[in-house]
Amino acid sequence: MDNEFSELKNKWGKSKKNINLSITNIESIYTKIKKKEKENYFFYYSTITILLATFIAISLFFYYVAPVEETLSRIGAGLMIYGLLFRIFIEVISIFKAKRINKLDDTLKTTENIINFHQFRKKIHTIIAPIIIILYTIGFYMITPEFSLYIEFWNLFLIDISYVIIGIILFIIIRKGVKKEMQKLNDIIKLKDDITE
Amino acid sequence: MRKNKKELFETIYYQHQPMVLQMCLGFVKGDDDLANDLLQEVFISVWRNLEKFKGESTYKTWIYRITVNTCLQYIKKDNKVTMFSISEIENQLAVADNDENSTNPNIQRLYKAIGQLKKIDRLIIIMVLENQDYNSISEIIGITPTNVRVKIHRIKKRLEIILKNNKNG
Repeated sequence: MDNEFSELKNKWGKSKKNINLSITNIESIYTKIKKKEKENYFFYYSTITILLATFIAISLFFYYVAPVEETLSRIGAGLMIYGLLFRIFIEVISIFKAKRINKLDDTLKTTENIINFHQFRKKIHTIIAPIIIILYTIGFYMITPEFSLYIEFWNLFLIDISYVIIGIILFIIIRKGVKKEMQKLNDIIKLKDDITE
Repeated sequence: MRKNKKELFETIYYQHQPMVLQMCLGFVKGDDDLANDLLQEVFISVWRNLEKFKGESTYKTWIYRITVNTCLQYIKKDNKVTMFSISEIENQLAVADNDENSTNPNIQRLYKAIGQLKKIDRLIIIMVLENQDYNSISEIIGITPTNVRVKIHRIKKRLEIILKNNKNG
């Protein structure tokens, strides 16, 4: 076996000499570095930007456009706004956990950090996000009675129905996210088993 | 500082590019495009972390660590339309002109055999082929040198069987 392996080593060594330096020129690496920096920024901050924009829009809406007066409506508006605020807080933790994945660590530690990150993402998708959506929905329907005093029945009916449709779309998106996250998690757990076996 | 960083980066790049590329080729069963993608990812990480290098290990061991982690985290970007710049297209053409490895059946067979191993085993055996000692591999992977020794023994056996089967088949 040792002789055969030495032969493989020889083949390996010879083939390296054939690898030409022009295969990837350094300029294309610099171009990719710039592109990657932009992509990373988008990866980390896109979700939080969308959530923050929604939070600001809803807050401004309840403050300037429709300042609800009844207690039931106020609780409803609170559920919607604080639910979003909580989701933003969770996203900040998620970014923090993602940044802890460091390619400079040894493979086992990196793998453990990735598992930790995906387990957290799984919790977001399976527990936190549904709870926030349920609270948001309850809040939305709690403000409906007061809105019905100012909006025509059919308009309100359309708003309520469209919310259900948006809810179904959100459910499908979240389900897809969970499946993807679960697949990644399983792959990485298997990798960790392979490292430690 | 920026100029020094660039000079250091380019020195590291030209010294270690063949080693990283060959490691990536072994990992992705000799697929040139994927290996070049991985190579770029590795050196992007090298650039971004250059200031963090503390000299506790050699640059070679440090780059191995980044290469192993990059390969294992790599997700194949299927069905994705990629926009190439002119320099990248020229670069791809250069690959087609200069790549002798892609036409070398011996090395292609070896890449394919390595590709049949588990992901982590591929990277370990490649480091052995690159003459890395047990202690370095143990430092890169994060397991004990004894565990590395046992693993290498198993991987060599598995690789031998794969090569024999491929030869007969």
